[in-house]
Amino acid sequence: MRAQTLNRATPYMFMAPAAIIMAIALLYPLGYMIYGSFRDWNPSQSIGESEFVGLKNYITLFFDPAFRESLSVTLTFAFVVVAAEMVLGVGLALLLDRNIRGMSVLRTLFILPMMIAPVVVGLMWRYMYHPTVGTFNTMLKSWGFDGIDWLGQNALLSVIIADVWQWTPFIFILALAALQSLPRSALEAARIDGATAWQQIIHIKLPLMMPVLIVTGLLRLIDAFKVLEVILVMTEGGPGLSTEIVALRISRTATEFRELGVAAAMSNYLLMLLLLLTVAMFAITRLQEARAQRAARQIQED
Amino acid sequence: MLKVLRQASLGVVSALALTTATLANPYEEYAGETLIVNFPAHPHFDAVMKILPEFTKETGIEVEVDQLPYLKMRERQTLELAQDEGEYDLIAYVVFSKADYVYADQLENLARYFMNPKLADPAYDADDLIDGYVYNIGFAGGNKGYLEGKTGSLFGIPYGSETSVLGYRKDIFDKHGLKVPETYEELLEIACKIPELEPGMGGLSSRAASGHHASHAFLLHLAPLGGRIFDDQWNPIVNNEAGVQAANALKTIVDCGPEGAASFGFGEALGSFLNGDTAMFLDTTVVAGQINDPAKSQVVGKVGWAMHPMGVRRGSQTGGFGIGIPKNAEHKEAAFLLMQWLTSKHGDKLVAMQGGNPSRFSTHADPDVNEKFPHMGTFGEALKHADPDWRPIIPVWGKINADLGTTLSKVLTEDLDVQEALDGVAERTKAVMDEAGYYTWQ
Repeated sequence: MRAQTLNRATPYMFMAPAAIIMAIALLYPLGYMIYGSFRDWNPSQSIGESEFVGLKNYITLFFDPAFRESLSVTLTFAFVVVAAEMVLGVGLALLLDRNIRGMSVLRTLFILPMMIAPVVVGLMWRYMYHPTVGTFNTMLKSWGFDGIDWLGQNALLSVIIADVWQWTPFIFILALAALQSLPRSALEAARIDGATAWQQIIHIKLPLMMPVLIVTGLLRLIDAFKVLEVILVMTEGGPGLSTEIVALRISRTATEFRELGVAAAMSNYLLMLLLLLTVAMFAITRLQEARAQRAARQIQED
Repeated sequence: MLKVLRQASLGVVSALALTTATLANPYEEYAGETLIVNFPAHPHFDAVMKILPEFTKETGIEVEVDQLPYLKMRERQTLELAQDEGEYDLIAYVVFSKADYVYADQLENLARYFMNPKLADPAYDADDLIDGYVYNIGFAGGNKGYLEGKTGSLFGIPYGSETSVLGYRKDIFDKHGLKVPETYEELLEIACKIPELEPGMGGLSSRAASGHHASHAFLLHLAPLGGRIFDDQWNPIVNNEAGVQAANALKTIVDCGPEGAASFGFGEALGSFLNGDTAMFLDTTVVAGQINDPAKSQVVGKVGWAMHPMGVRRGSQTGGFGIGIPKNAEHKEAAFLLMQWLTSKHGDKLVAMQGGNPSRFSTHADPDVNEKFPHMGTFGEALKHADPDWRPIIPVWGKINADLGTTLSKVLTEDLDVQEALDGVAERTKAVMDEAGYYTWQ
């Protein structure tokens, strides 16, 4: 009997160290943040000295026009960059999915932007956008056009361009990998049936790549919600609040306004949003798996 | 004869005793201690780094410096000061941190050190310290809670304090026969005339980027034009006539400024003046060193200095840093000795000669300092008009400052109506103040 209990406990005992570390490293800070979000807490106090205020921080935020604006900036930013990156990344992958000499060098070159530290990317773009000495305006002026006020009037667009530049390669490599693992037989069959290149893309390649693309897109979306450094360096959220994404607002609330409770509540709103997206991602993957299984069963039955 | 001899020897002995007494080393007890101090990466404190070896040589007290970017410093200090035992013995803090630290009871009241005869140097001459700065940076608990007043006391000493002055291009002004502006009307007129006279050149380079920068630039004009953020009952009056005038002045300056001025932070604004892209620069005195440094500046020798122009009154910026001793410091007495040495006449002159910003009237008038830095005379004069109530130093200022700065940025870039913008700021400020309890007694 004892041996049996012990036997049954063995796997849990093996899991225990990992579970404990996970609880300490992941759940403790998360719990701390959730706890903090119910308190009126400034950084000169310990959390114990702060006052419990219930849901006040969440309610204040809900009606705070500045927070709402930064939420809408974040949503616009995230959806626009992901859409642009998907189109460009997948397009590039479709173009480069062939045997060209020097392909591996080319591929490495394409993914370089992704490997640069975000702060450096921010600085680089900030100087390229500089109104007088920046690369873009110098170029425009040498062609006889007027300079563009990049980080002033068109700040959000400028930030979006920088992000697209940096993260399109991520979509590109994943899309390329998906393309190269497509069943060649389907493509060959289509070719024999006389499908044009365009038809092959629309009816065969894209539908088959879709599962990978959806997951990639969601991953990028989640990442885009959390972007901070590039925007911090390029515009610090300005002009006005036009590029103040939520992550930046959280950081300002904690350090400039010294309202740790409100910052924690804001992080929780963001967390909930991301959680929704993640759940959606899992649901879609599940759904697709189920559909694939059903299709496979059908083929077998046929 | 014998008596005379005895008396003489007695005299010699007592004279010797006296000499040893005067030569007694007040630092002796602390020699060998190592102080850990937190200073910002900032031109003044770069100069301080050069004189610290002199302190160690004179006193035997070692100093280890943790230098951080000044906006990061506050975060780090907030964490350190909340510990039971802190790492830092002496910290340099930004003016607006004073309110937070004192309110959280994290800085030592300096009274017990200046009362201690073993520590306080009788030759210190505190009256020579620049008044506005002492009240602005060092004082707490006086009028309005952050100014000079009968209920206040000293928690820090200004060190690396700055005020605003007008830098102008002598060559450009001479070429077109322009008069250096003394009033705001003249300033704005010349600022917009320069782009016409010198195509491609901006009038005045100002910071204007969203947030702290825009707010700072606005405050520069608010005080001289007669405005304030609050009246004496803490009601926001930033949206009154003077406030609107100040915001309009900022807008005019940015519109007539160099290209892209609306997104300039401090670095870009200074950069464009150093590059020769603008004819004037109205901001802190701390830039003088860089303007005369051929490695960084293309306008060496071409820049003249004048007082911050006058609106309805004189009111130049009070800003910069103070030094204070954390409550949780380990070597408080030695830290006080360092603080006293740095801000003494001797230390102040040493740091000024290395290009730092002196905090004493006497240093500004010192012939050696003036010979090396001819602008020091104007700066000293400007300091007399430094306005300690230039910005409210209250714990909720961070939030109000950010709102003011982002709203003004909308005025500058999105053509939001000035009055409407400031009305909005006043309304939101009122709510913040109400929540923080400033209207409890009304």
